[in-house]
Order: sequence, then C-alpha cells, then structure tokens
Amino acid sequence: MESKPIVMDHFSTVHTSYVVNFKFTNNITILTGSSATGKTASFSFIKECMAINPDILCLNYLDYQKNIKEIVSHAKGKLIVIDNADILLNDETRKYISLDGKNQYLIIGRNPKNLFATKENLFELVSKKNGEQTEFQIEPYL
Amino acid sequence: MITIYKDKKDIPQNMEYVELNDVFFNKNTVARLDDHAKEIVEKIDDAKLAGKYKIESKFNGVTLDVDCLSTGCKTVLNVLYFPDKVFCLKECGDNALEVLYNLEDGFIYSDYAMIPFDMSEVKVCFGTQSKIINDYEELKEWWSNGE
Repeated sequence: MESKPIVMDHFSTVHTSYVVNFKFTNNITILTGSSATGKTASFSFIKECMAINPDILCLNYLDYQKNIKEIVSHAKGKLIVIDNADILLNDETRKYISLDGKNQYLIIGRNPKNLFATKENLFELVSKKNGEQTEFQIEPYL
Repeated sequence: MITIYKDKKDIPQNMEYVELNDVFFNKNTVARLDDHAKEIVEKIDDAKLAGKYKIESKFNGVTLDVDCLSTGCKTVLNVLYFPDKVFCLKECGDNALEVLYNLEDGFIYSDYAMIPFDMSEVKVCFGTQSKIINDYEELKEWWSNGE
C-alpha cells in the first residue's frame, strides 16, 4: 500500500556512539531482514526519545499482555514504533493499522500479513561506520 | 533433526510452548550457555561471547550484556538448550533459520512458513501424523496446506 507519511518523513536521534537516521517514504514502514542487523537496538534508541518527543509511541514484547489494538486506536498524530510485531500483532490489529489514517507506523518484523503491504512498505536496516560512530539507516528491502 | 508444528493444538500437552523467546532466554537459557553457544553467537550475530553473561558487539566492539543478542539468536539457543520445549520461530531472520534448521534436535512452531533456502531434513507434525521432509518446496507446500 502506498501512502505518504502523515506524522514525519524523517526521524533522527543520537545515543552515545549510535546515530539513527531514518527517512520515511510511506505511512507504514515494515523494517525486516536478517537477525542481528540492529533493528531492536534502533528501537531502543527511538524509545528513549519518547521521554522528550510526545509524537512517538513505542511498543514491544514487554507490552505482550496489553490490548495493542486499543492502545493504537486511542493514539492520534503519533509515530507508532512496534518491535516484536510478529508476536505482538494479531490479524485484527493488523487490519486496523492498515486503515489507520491518524497515525504513522514503523513495524519491526517479518510477517506483512493483513497489513496490505507491497514492496514499497518493506525496508531493511543498514549500518555505516562514521569514525567512532555507527549510523543506522533504512533502505528498500530487495 | 528439528520437529515443526504449524498448529498449536498439535503440540503435545506435556510440552511447554514458548512464544516470548527474549524473556525465556534472559531467565533460563543464559545459565546454560557453553562453548556450543559461542559458535552460534558468532555465526548469527557476528558477536563474541565474552564470559558467561557478556558479548562483544559487532558494531563497535563494546561489551554488552548477553540480553542484547538478537531475538533470532536467542531463539536458536533456546531450542538448542531446551529440546523438551516448543519455541516460536517467527522472529528468526534467514541467518538464524539456517542455523536452527541444522540443529540435531529441537521443537519449533509457526503457523506460516519460515524456511531457509539451504534447508536440511526436518520432521513435520500435523494432527496425529508426522513425516520427514528434506525439500524446500515440499515443506512450503505442507505449511500452506491444511494437512
């Protein structure tokens, strides 16, 4: 599904020697790929920004007992970042997210089921060394 | 050879099913890590086990708690050290799946296909039946069919 990002088209943050520099081209970005590319590390750096940026809402396996659909349906104008999405999102929540016009999503997982995703939604994480810093960016997933 | 379930109701009642691999690893598997884990951690996460509870990050060489391993790597280690339990494999990337499918023993579950291109022999269970599959396409077909 192709739709322009409605909350932000760029997100960047710094956490010690790590830089997160994401450019969003779609309202639902599915971040996928091999294990150990830095997806969950990037999630933790974005989550840190929740303390200073009210536009960010992060969910992961620690929210396993919560009603995720209820949480996202009460959110408005947020970049909702979901790690461990393959175990956190049921079909009903996925369908809701695919039609949500109030929020933007960064979904970390491998199963695009019920998100009505196309290749435009799929991205992988790449890391680049800049001196002592490591920068994480997202690129279209081939 | 690993055993695969595609329907939760087929998992024997005397076997625990673990969906949250991160939590299980941090609470249980970490205490069992030995030299076998070193090889797996290097292969999947390109990190080095530095003592029992630390790893050396591949990104900047910083020493991190072992809970920073990828979920895929933790899943493989859970399956390796607890061959009496069934683990969800949905959070494994291709690099973790390749190692997982080559384990000598272990039980995994997913309701959709998660197969590495370079797969070896696996045992699949559905209902009261089970069979051995050693072909990618055949395994993919089993996973997508009702039996």
